[in-house]
Amino acid sequence: MKITFFRSKCIGCNYCVEAWPERWQMSKRDGKCVLIGGKKKGQVYRADVGEYERKYNQRAAEACPVDIIRID
Amino acid sequence: METRYPEIMAPAGSWASLRAALQGGADSIYFGIEQLNMRARASNNFTLEDLPEIASLTKEQGVKTYLTLNTVLYDHDLPLMRRIVDGAKEAGITAIIAADQSAISYAYKQDVEVHISTQANISNIEMVEFYSHFADVMVLARELSLGQVQNIVEGIEERQIIGPSGELVEIEVFAHGALCMAVSGKCYLSLHAYNSSANRGACKQNCRHSYRVTSDDGNELEIDNEYIMSPKDLCTIDFLDQLLGAGIQVLKLEGRGRSPEYVKTVTRCYREAARAVVNDEYTPEKVDRWIQDLRDVYNRGFWNGYYLGQRLGEWSKVHGSAAEKEKTFIGKVLHYYPKAEVAHVRIKTKELSLDDDILIIGKKTGVAEPNIKSIWVDDQPVEKTVQGQECTLKIDAEVREGDKVYLWEDRDQ
Ligand code: SF4
Repeated sequence: MKITFFRSKCIGCNYCVEAWPERWQMSKRDGKCVLIGGKKKGQVYRADVGEYERKYNQRAAEACPVDIIRID
Repeated sequence: METRYPEIMAPAGSWASLRAALQGGADSIYFGIEQLNMRARASNNFTLEDLPEIASLTKEQGVKTYLTLNTVLYDHDLPLMRRIVDGAKEAGITAIIAADQSAISYAYKQDVEVHISTQANISNIEMVEFYSHFADVMVLARELSLGQVQNIVEGIEERQIIGPSGELVEIEVFAHGALCMAVSGKCYLSLHAYNSSANRGACKQNCRHSYRVTSDDGNELEIDNEYIMSPKDLCTIDFLDQLLGAGIQVLKLEGRGRSPEYVKTVTRCYREAARAVVNDEYTPEKVDRWIQDLRDVYNRGFWNGYYLGQRLGEWSKVHGSAAEKEKTFIGKVLHYYPKAEVAHVRIKTKELSLDDDILIIGKKTGVAEPNIKSIWVDDQPVEKTVQGQECTLKIDAEVREGDKVYLWEDRDQ
């Protein structure tokens, strides 16, 4: 499964981290979230992760108030 | 003695609004950067890199700048909060507006002027005394009545409560714009419904929706006014004399999410009104005219807020705006010839006729509000120009390539 993360719009609310801390972490540098293992492509970050993670990342995506996490 | 006018503090949610605030005659502007401000959701927030330009642009005109840093802060926000305060100091921003004690304390230690945000809900004189250790200007909670505001202002005099500058603490209040149904900064509706915390600057404004009440057995109650949690907009221009009489020094205009023409109009009206009060030229006729101008731009209907003692909000009857004018995009400026004061414009939609009022809005232009006195197409004067045509217009305000052109006309009610 693929995660796409539009980082610039993150408001740093921490909800995704609470949903799945193994993949999401808050950055102390700029207060926005980091997609662990994500690669920057243009404006977005992408990560290919194991299928077993789907439901946790799905939860993170649903929790995100600004809808910037996409799961494919 | 030199006449002292109250400070008119205008919102700047974008470059165009910032210019519009200056054009409207603001004494100060407030704005947010990055995600740590109450409009974190807005797409056009400024960034740390914009600070020097904002500072130099406003300094030229003697306008003060306030940076809002007033969300609830988490541990991971602290480094960014510090960088923002440091950046503000370096750029020469006048002050930061903060509610979280971590930001207040850090700014104070860095010798950056702090104003206490309404999110701190200052509602009594002891709180003013407490915060006076850190701040010279404080925004009171929006729920106070005029009498309560006046008591606080008098209390500052009596107790001689002075801020870090050595001067008496100044009181700022909201004078115009949207009000919230909740005590400022304490609403959880958005968080409950959408997981989107208002106190992190991500309010989804669900109070602005219409609601139905359904009983357990499925019966639906009809509610006369469906917008039961959506207050009308605060407007104090018709009792500004009383508000200023209570000793207010700073009048804050709400609207960082609003359009540039809104900012310009509201700023101009309140500046004129505040000056009229001080100069003893405040008349009912002028008030009527200002109210009419304010009705032209975005509003949900007006009420007096909590100042005159009503206990609960007057609820709006509309979902969106009750503005009496509306702007419709019609085209773009291709070029401007300053010597001839002529703009070359492409009309992309609709048509433009002689005597139309238009708005030209852009990052550097702010808001120009010309009336069309002549239109030329292919070097010939014409009465109107239609979709797809290029034309030249005499515009005495300086506009720029890429600026957007709008028709500004009465709205069909
Ligand atoms: S939930 Fe969304 S906004 Fe909140 S920290 Fe995660 S990515 Fe950012």
